[in-house]
Amino acid sequence: MDDKFILMVEDNPDDEEMTLRSLQQAGIANEVQVVRDGVEALDFLFGTGSFAGRDTARMPALVLLDLKLPKLNGIDVLTRMRQHELTRTVPVVILTSSSEDEDMARSYASGANSYVRKPVIFADFAGVVSQLGLYWMLLNQIPNGNRTR
Amino acid sequence: MKPFIRLRSVRYKLFVGVLLTSIAALLVTGASLMAYDLHNLKTSLADDLNTQAELIGRACVPALQFDDQKTANSNLALLQARPMIDAAALYNAKGAIFGSYSRAGNAAADFPQLPGDDAVEFDGENITVTRRIVDNNEILGSLYLHAHYNLYQRVRNYIGIVLAVSSLALLISLLLSTWLQATVTRPIQDITKVAQQVIEKRDYSPRAHKTTDDEIGYLVDAFNRMLAEIGTRAQAQEASNRELAREVAERKSAEDEIMRLNRDLEARVQERTNKLQEINSELEAFSYSVSHDLRAPLRAIDGFSQALLTEFGAQTDEKMRHYLQRIKVGTARMGQLIEDLLNLSRISRLEILWREVDLSALANQVVQDLQQRDPERKVTVSIWDNITVHADQRLLRVALENLLGNAWKFTGKTGEARIEFGMLQEGERRIIFVRDNGAGFDMAYADKLFGAFQRLHGMHEFPGTGIGLATVQRIVNRHGGRIWCQAAPGKGATFFFTLQAEPQQHGPA
Repeated sequence: MDDKFILMVEDNPDDEEMTLRSLQQAGIANEVQVVRDGVEALDFLFGTGSFAGRDTARMPALVLLDLKLPKLNGIDVLTRMRQHELTRTVPVVILTSSSEDEDMARSYASGANSYVRKPVIFADFAGVVSQLGLYWMLLNQIPNGNRTR
Repeated sequence: MKPFIRLRSVRYKLFVGVLLTSIAALLVTGASLMAYDLHNLKTSLADDLNTQAELIGRACVPALQFDDQKTANSNLALLQARPMIDAAALYNAKGAIFGSYSRAGNAAADFPQLPGDDAVEFDGENITVTRRIVDNNEILGSLYLHAHYNLYQRVRNYIGIVLAVSSLALLISLLLSTWLQATVTRPIQDITKVAQQVIEKRDYSPRAHKTTDDEIGYLVDAFNRMLAEIGTRAQAQEASNRELAREVAERKSAEDEIMRLNRDLEARVQERTNKLQEINSELEAFSYSVSHDLRAPLRAIDGFSQALLTEFGAQTDEKMRHYLQRIKVGTARMGQLIEDLLNLSRISRLEILWREVDLSALANQVVQDLQQRDPERKVTVSIWDNITVHADQRLLRVALENLLGNAWKFTGKTGEARIEFGMLQEGERRIIFVRDNGAGFDMAYADKLFGAFQRLHGMHEFPGTGIGLATVQRIVNRHGGRIWCQAAPGKGATFFFTLQAEPQQHGPA
């Protein structure tokens, strides 16, 4: 695997741990950057705040975005991402507990590439994460060297 | 014919009546008397003159016989004694004038040439008499007399008398009519006056005076009684009018009250609606929270239990594995419960999109899904064709998923599992049914079936949360329909439901 990495925006430490475990179990060894809320996510992506100085040329190959986040929620993060040229084409998968139609609709309307529900049962959860990882990291193609220009 | 008397009043009519009657009577009487009198006069004159002529004729016989003209003339001259006789002429047997006499002395009285027959002729005031002189059956000659009488004078006298008497009669009429007035017209006038008064002032208290005891008197009595009656009625009418006015006022104030209450009611309804909307929004927010916040910890419980099993499997013994397994079962169940509850609440919140839904196709899809999840199971499924209804596609899908899912589940232990999906027509109603030959249940508990979380089988027999049927019932109710069932333990179950016949106005359902 090359230096593709995943940005996980997740406030729940349990979900974070289980996602990481599942990725590991699925054999996906890519780097995973974890941020805890919407503001951190944007800081990371645009190299501001606590992530000032990050090389913003290097964008994640996949962003796993939860909807219910502290400070700025998932939809707002997504909207901001789609407004900037830097982050407009970065693949974003909404990974959330919500099964509300409205959330799904708004996610797609705001530019999400995919919407996946987090199952309660761990076995199913692991299966979902594994499929996501395999698909987006191995199958899905992005422009070379993670450059979005 | 225009009446030449203007009949303005009874009194006038009476007066004219009496007058005309009197005059008519007088005229008729006068005329008849006059005619009779004149006739009598003529008759007696005729007799008289005839006799005169006869006498003079006889007297002239010798003169005629002896042809003595002188004697004849002197005989005729005797007629001088009678003033009414103007002239006379004596004719001999040959018809020539033998002698003549004329009162006025003028011998040139115009006598007829030849004498006629015996006759008496009246012409105005003139009378002419012709008489044959006969002696011993021998006609010796004729006598001609010319007389006059004062006919016109007589007639004038008569007329004068009649007129005089008529005037008298007029006077008497006047007197009579005055008297009649007292007895006839005055009471009538009195009644008229009272009537006018009553009409003008609308006052029913005056009464007419009864002066006579005849038909007029009766009329006065009747009139007075009628006035009394009208008076009473008018009073009663007024009383009832006042009553009515009062009632109307009451009703009006009641109506006003009702309008006020209506306005209040409207305001209250609006308030309640607002409250309801508030509650609805709260419910939506609640559901949203539930779907996020309840699931996450559950996921953690299950995840870490699984992690224990996976990573420390070697260090666990039978009991630990058993406990961990029970934990996982618990979380799975809770997850399912959350799922079902959310579905149930969504059913209530969703706005129904009415469309033509092909239930046959939908049922087929649901069964395919069921089969896909359970590829090993062999179930004979019979789905009738062309069942289309007017409903919300999404909600009906959930309903069928539940009903068919139940049928699938409860035939899990049946050897030759059979599921049937169809529609019956009962008059105007169309009844859709799902039938299975699975475990069935006791109808005694049928009414509990549709309550949320109610189950008739233990978890060890068949898995489930007991929300499914509550959800289906809510869906059917929102479509204006009804759901019921029929079953027997070990013999399977049939669930029937109806949906509303015609699409209604889209109000809150």
